[in-house]
Amino acid sequence: MVELEDNKEVRRAMLSAIREHLAASMPFDAVHDEHHAEHKANPRISSAVADEQSASPTERFRNALEAVAGHCLMVNDERAAADLVLEILGKINARRIAVSDSLLVKRVMSHVKLDAEILVDASKSELFDCDAGITSAQWGAAETGTLVLEADAERHRLASLVPPVHIALIEADKIRQTLGEVLESLSEQGRDRLSRTVTFITGPSRTSDIELTLAIGVHGPGELFVIIIEGRDK
Amino acid sequence: MDHQTTETFDQNAREALTDEQLRAALRNLVTTFGERRKVAITTVDDWEGLRERARAIKDETLTHLDKYLEEFADNAERAGARVHWARDAREACAIVLKLLRERACEHIVKSKSMATEEIHLNAALEAEGLAPVETDLGEWIIQLAHETPSHIVVPAIHKSKKQIAELFAEKVGIEPTDDVAVLTSTARRVLRQCFAEADAGISGVNFGVAETGTFLILENEGNARLTTSMPKIHIAVMGIEKIIPRLVDLDVFLKLLPRSGTGQRLTSYQSLITGVKKSVDDEGPEEVHIVLMDNGRSRMLSHPVTRQSLACIRCGACLNACPVYQQIGGHAYGSVYPGPIGAVITPQLAGIKKAAQLPYASSLCGACREVCPVKIDIPELLLHLRAEIAEGTTVGTADQKGPVKRKLSEQMAFRLYAFLWSHPSLYNLGTRVARLMQRTVMRNGHIGRVSGFVSKLAPPLGAWTASRDMRAVAPRSFREKWRDGLSGRR
Ligand code: SF4
Repeated sequence: MVELEDNKEVRRAMLSAIREHLAASMPFDAVHDEHHAEHKANPRISSAVADEQSASPTERFRNALEAVAGHCLMVNDERAAADLVLEILGKINARRIAVSDSLLVKRVMSHVKLDAEILVDASKSELFDCDAGITSAQWGAAETGTLVLEADAERHRLASLVPPVHIALIEADKIRQTLGEVLESLSEQGRDRLSRTVTFITGPSRTSDIELTLAIGVHGPGELFVIIIEGRDK
Repeated sequence: MDHQTTETFDQNAREALTDEQLRAALRNLVTTFGERRKVAITTVDDWEGLRERARAIKDETLTHLDKYLEEFADNAERAGARVHWARDAREACAIVLKLLRERACEHIVKSKSMATEEIHLNAALEAEGLAPVETDLGEWIIQLAHETPSHIVVPAIHKSKKQIAELFAEKVGIEPTDDVAVLTSTARRVLRQCFAEADAGISGVNFGVAETGTFLILENEGNARLTTSMPKIHIAVMGIEKIIPRLVDLDVFLKLLPRSGTGQRLTSYQSLITGVKKSVDDEGPEEVHIVLMDNGRSRMLSHPVTRQSLACIRCGACLNACPVYQQIGGHAYGSVYPGPIGAVITPQLAGIKKAAQLPYASSLCGACREVCPVKIDIPELLLHLRAEIAEGTTVGTADQKGPVKRKLSEQMAFRLYAFLWSHPSLYNLGTRVARLMQRTVMRNGHIGRVSGFVSKLAPPLGAWTASRDMRAVAPRSFREKWRDGLSGRR
């Protein structure tokens, strides 16, 4: 086995190599910049890209999600959401269901009367045996039909990933127009409050690795149902 | 498997050109990804503006890379990740091996990562008796076949579904099938067992966010999510150039990367991982390690032209757009990174001696520059590298560089040409002599493989006509026509 040098020493060496190389480039930079003025044209770097849209976020979300083979359903309240969940679970004949610990999921599931095993803290091996996973989502991005799930808000990582069907519940007012807006909200939380894992989900799992032929559901869920709760009667 | 076989680039390219199945696969790639990309980039308002912004962010980061790297590493460590620094491939592999050994990890799953391909991590681990399993479908296919990726986004693009079915029949005992859905579900079934047993996961990184210490992985299949959440230990290997300053900068790159690579608006999944879980009850690994790797990158910072190489976000668009890649595929390059970006970074990473032919594997048509989402001027880079090769200077480390031998006859020819060019009367005499001499080898105004007739010129011109035709010297030169009046008598 190779003897490793002290990590701090290597860090110092790598950073000083970077500084040396950057310093060596300075005389060339001045000449080069004159020839590549266009790269300097935009000195203010980055911000969310502006986006004006007339469509409502929920409509836009649905269109984008359906374009990537996800199912999008809209309901007025949590009871109606529960009815849909029941219907989906019935259709796939779910015997074992993994749910996240989110409050929204808890409330909706309290209305779901089903003769099936519902696991809040499924173990890894149990998860491989589940027919569906149910989570909520903390944000949505309408432009791409993307769900954003934060680990601090719910334990979502495996329930949204391992079972073949993922059902996600989201309140309509959590859907922003763009991913840029969601990123801004995440960034406003500050580095210490940011969840240790944030997952963006856009449609079901897919691959084109064999002759570029699309196949759905390779490692993650083959079906994604997003239920948007409009809450108009709240 | 040794990748550095660029000595044989000409031979590889010639063989690839006769491989009909490969060429059909490449045509499929070009039309599918090429067309999808064209549509996808119309779904943002200001594609040009986005590209410029992306490049500006990368330029800002790279010219202050020391600062942003430290910020990234410190923030990742605050959040509980362990950051390891590796100057080269050898150190990076040794770090990963040590981590796995100390924790007695036996079952290792990997998600697709070009950085780990670059350092031949699998071979290093296998040499020590470990057997990491690639879990991306394309990577798993080539791992089963003991091959190497031929594309940085779709690694098994060179294999037909028939070959894949035969491979699966042999290795995992399925009935041969031409149903892609069956092949895919086979991978799901077999690899789930690996995920269930895995005690360590290894991944690459697409972006590292300095202000939070977050690393981000983009994917479509879900194997990277499984790799980063099932095992107790996670190790992410990233090149030092993956840093971006802020979380909001991701907006720009998430718009550019999937559209350029696969023509998607967004890949199915992005995982943003910041350090290690906050409490034992949370999901995810107990330990997160990040290996920050230089391996030839920092020296690219020393000139603005080479520095561009580090802006690359590995989208693969330049491969799909390149007329050379389109004809010969990825393996002919004989390097981990193929295509236009491979032709510029391989000589810089591996040393010019090992890859001196690659900067010439391009017609300088500029298609790569047109599609590159971060506006890397690859033709400019190719010329820069060719100049360094010709001068025998600066690319690579001391032991990797050193003059690349050019044929004496080629050097002499260029000297003679330069001499004639600067002496008009001699030049004119020369063209007249050439006109007389070429009669023996010319057909229809061309010299080369014309209408079944193969004419050969003496070296070094013979090298030119070995693979293409040469225009014969015109009956009357431009200067002669000019002298007689351009529109005048013939
Ligand atoms: S050089 Fe540009 S086009 Fe090629 S892979 Fe890198 S980012 Fe993509």
